[in-house]
This record gives sequence, C-alpha cells and structure tokens, in this order.
Amino acid sequence: MTFTATDGFSLPSVAGESVRIADGPALLLFVSEECPTCALTLRRLAPLVGELTGAGLCVVAVFEDPLEVAARVARRTGFGGVVLSEPAPYEVSGAFSLESLPTAVLVDRGGRETGRVVGWDAAALSSLVSMPVTDEPPLRKPGCAAKNTYDAEALRALDGAGFDELEEMFERGWTDGLPVVPPTTERVRATLGGHDPDELLGEMAPALARVTLERVAACAVLAGCRPEYFPVVVAAVQAVLEPSFNVGGQAVTTQPCGQVVVVNGPVRDAIGLNGSVGALGPGWRANMTIGRALRLVISLTGGGFPGRLDRSTLGNPGKIGLCFAEDEEVSPWEPLHVSRGFPADRSVVTVFGADAPLSISDHRSTGPLALARVLGEAAGATWSPSWWPLGGTSLFAVCPEHARSFAQWGWDKARVRSELFASVRRPASALRWGETTPLVGAADDDQLVGKWSSPEDIVLVVAGGEAGRFSAVFGPCLGMDAIAISKEVPWIT
Amino acid sequence: MDYVSPFDERRRAAEPLAPRPVSLEGARVALLDINKRRGDEFLDRIEELLRARGASTFRLVKEIFSKPAAPEIVRRIADRGDLAVEGLAD
Repeated sequence: MTFTATDGFSLPSVAGESVRIADGPALLLFVSEECPTCALTLRRLAPLVGELTGAGLCVVAVFEDPLEVAARVARRTGFGGVVLSEPAPYEVSGAFSLESLPTAVLVDRGGRETGRVVGWDAAALSSLVSMPVTDEPPLRKPGCAAKNTYDAEALRALDGAGFDELEEMFERGWTDGLPVVPPTTERVRATLGGHDPDELLGEMAPALARVTLERVAACAVLAGCRPEYFPVVVAAVQAVLEPSFNVGGQAVTTQPCGQVVVVNGPVRDAIGLNGSVGALGPGWRANMTIGRALRLVISLTGGGFPGRLDRSTLGNPGKIGLCFAEDEEVSPWEPLHVSRGFPADRSVVTVFGADAPLSISDHRSTGPLALARVLGEAAGATWSPSWWPLGGTSLFAVCPEHARSFAQWGWDKARVRSELFASVRRPASALRWGETTPLVGAADDDQLVGKWSSPEDIVLVVAGGEAGRFSAVFGPCLGMDAIAISKEVPWIT
Repeated sequence: MDYVSPFDERRRAAEPLAPRPVSLEGARVALLDINKRRGDEFLDRIEELLRARGASTFRLVKEIFSKPAAPEIVRRIADRGDLAVEGLAD
C-alpha cells in the first residue's frame, strides 16, 4: 500500500478536527475496542509513543469504532498518539487490505509501506519501529477480524449495536423533552388492540392534522401508557376535539394553561388510576402517562409544540400532562360524571382547560361558611386578582377532609357551589385596580361583583389523601370561549 | 426499526399569494378586528392612513380572537374587498 499527498486519507480525530494522513513517516495502528489484543498492543506501545514521536514518527491509532469509543479506549490504555475514528464501511482499512486487528503499518516519508505486523508480536514490532518493546509475556497474541472484512449483514448488526432508540426519538423530535417509549409498530399494534388504526377522530389545530387512532396510539406509547390505558386516552382526545373546547386556541395561547383530565367510573380501578394520596402529583403510571399522552397528541400531532406554535409565556408543569381520578368512594357527594348526566357505572373522562393548581390550606375553619370563604378567596386570585368575574370554569380538587367536613355540616355539593359563588363578592370600587373587567369598569361603585358569573362555573371533585386539609383550585383557560367536555370511555380492555 | 409516526405526514401545497396591489387608490380594504382589547384603536389608525391614500374601508369583527374567523366573515371579505388587514392586539 502506498499513500501519497493525492491519495492519503482523512478521518475524524478525537482532538476535534479531522486529520489528514498523506505522507509519512508514520506508524498506523489499526485497532478496535472489541479486540483484547488491540488493547494489549495499545497499552504496550503507549510508553514508546513519546520517543517515537520525538524521532519524527507520527504514531496514529485508527479505530474501527465511533469517536467516543476510540477516545475512551485510548484514555484507558494510556495511548498518547493521534487517535482517529474510521466509520463503516471501513474504506481506509479496506485500502490497506487489512484482514485482522491489530495491524501495525509503517510508512515512509514518501507514503510507501515499508513493513507491517499483524497481531501482537513483540519481536516483529521491535524490529518494525527499530526500538525495543516490552518483553513481558505474552510475546505473541493473535487478534480479531478487521471490520472491513465483515459482510453486509454483520455490519448492519454492528450498526444496530451502537444505535440508541431513545436518542433516536429525540433526534426525530418525538418527545416533550423527556425520554419516551419508541412507538414501534408492535407496541402501537398492541395499544390499538385490534381497533381500526385509520379511524379518524377529527382534525386538530393549529396543524389541522388528521388525528387517527393510530397516531393517538403512537402518542400513548411515546407517553409510556400501557395498552389498557388507551381507551381513556382516546376519550380524552375525543373530548378536546369537540369544537367547544377550542383546543387550537388553548394550544397556542400565551396563557400558561394546560389540559386537566379527570376520570370517573370503574376504569379507574381497572387501570390503577390514582385519586387518593398525591393524586395531582407523580407516583402512578396511569396518571402520569394518560395526561402526557393527551399533551403529546396536542403538541406533536396537533402542532402545538412549546416555543413553536405554543407561545405559552411561562408554561406550567401541568403541561407535561395532568390526569387524576375522582375518589368517588371517599367522596360524600355524587361523582363528577353523575353531575354531568352519566350513569354512575360508566367510565367517563372530563377535560378542562386549566392553569396550574393553586394549593389551599385550611386547617382551622370550624364551620362551612368559613371553609367556603377560604376556598373561594383563594380562587379569587386566579387569572388576575382583580379580574372579576372570571368568565370561565374553576375546577376545585377538594380533599377528603374538607369534603367530609362540608358533609358533616350538612352541605351537599350544590350547596357548596352556591355558597362558594355567594361568598366571593366585592364592590366594584374595590376591584378597580390592576387588570380588571369591562363589567367592573361599567358598574356602580357599590355594585357587588362575584368571582364567578354563576355557580355553574364552579366544579368540585374529591381527590387527595385521607390526611391533610389541603384542597386546590385550577383557574380556567380564558379567552377561549371553552367549556369542560365529558366523554364516555369508548371501551375497556 | 419501524416506528409509527405521531404526526400527520401529509404535505400541503403552499397557497400562492394574491397579486400585490400597485396602488391603494380606489381599493376596497377589509379591516378585520379579531376582538382583542385595543385592536380597534390600531385599526382606527390604519383606516385613517388607508383613506388618506384613496382607499375605502369596511370593518368586520370576529366573534372571539382565539377561534378562526367564521366562514361568513371570510366570504364577506372575499366578496367585498380587494385587500384585508387583520389587527392583533393586547
């Protein structure tokens, strides 16, 4: 083999820039991480690199491995020469007609090969570089096949070995920024469970994308859903696709709102959806992944991706996904889906456009009016503290202790809603600061204005741990003319 | 590895731009107020400037800023106008 200025080679170097080798004198050490004899050779020649370099010989390790692997092996073996990485299909190795690794090739100033040693052979290498190498045994050791000799199938398998599916998802942009489960055809098929992949659920703004069951299944897989969660995801997607939900507006608004999914009925137990301790937070796969699947349908399929068409000023952690069950068994009241007209034994998803939850502590109230006032006044600050009435739906997650107190004091759900509505009112004159509504602007000074236009704008669900008097309120996504939508879970596996 | 894309991979042909007007003289300009606060103030000023250049104007208002304009509004713009200006505000 001769390589000259015109037919030398250039390969990526661990030092950063590509290095072009066009003439000698050089000692080329062809090696690979997978070959133990290569590591032995590098380790044993490492102490000589300085001296050889000083004598005017360029000592180069050409790895048939990716750069990061080459760098790691060079570091571990203490090899201080030039380190290059040769990609498949290993054309440089082919040009040198390599059969196995390690192979040391010495080339002279004119680029002519003047000698080569195949495998570890201490005596032959001493002779090649005109310098004694170690006499520590083993003095001879055969190596491994060079990768340029592999057939196409073996190379493909090798490529696959270095392939990282999770990184591939990031490169494709099929993520919300967290690692996802790659939506392989097998996983998506399992998630579909025999349902028609081409069934069209609707078009989603802002991308005006056709939302098919298969795309929803892909998002469910990406989010980490088990196949039995899929019907709940489908119901949530059907809900947000209702025109009166205005998902397109919600997806792109500067308001940092997300979509909150509340689930009622038998499916909660069937899939292990949590409505008890920590219901709004992490810890339960069904909660975390169903909400996330819906958000992926909105942000990937629907095109409402943060920073692109989603212009949410701050975002909120709930935009990763927020799904929880109502704890119907602990609640003293009728469940949300029953209030919304569904039979108690049906599984129903209700979707709200909502801001991040605001936690409300009340460990002191000794009567229902006082507790209602605490909850209501906290909600008074949502959207903006002097923006009354809100003009949207507030979702309260009432903790079991608060709910039980109301029940013990004889208040049913309707009473709590109407008293909440009535308890949060102020004279218009007290609301004329900051961001205020046209209604307040036009009202007489002493006209009482409520935070809500009607008790119908207050939705109560019971969720949370048995201990602790912390409820929460989600402010609405405003300016959307949007309402909460309920959909029955279409099937249960 | 075969994956199922979450995206609708259809490619849409770009809509060609309408020819640009050479002059505003005599043009009928639709001013679309998306119904966001102070958008009318912006359009008032645009209207003044357009009229000074010989254009006539007519105003339309979307029902709500966060939803697409109703088909009726789009049809009226197309039927009655040569040009349209939409005002975003806050």
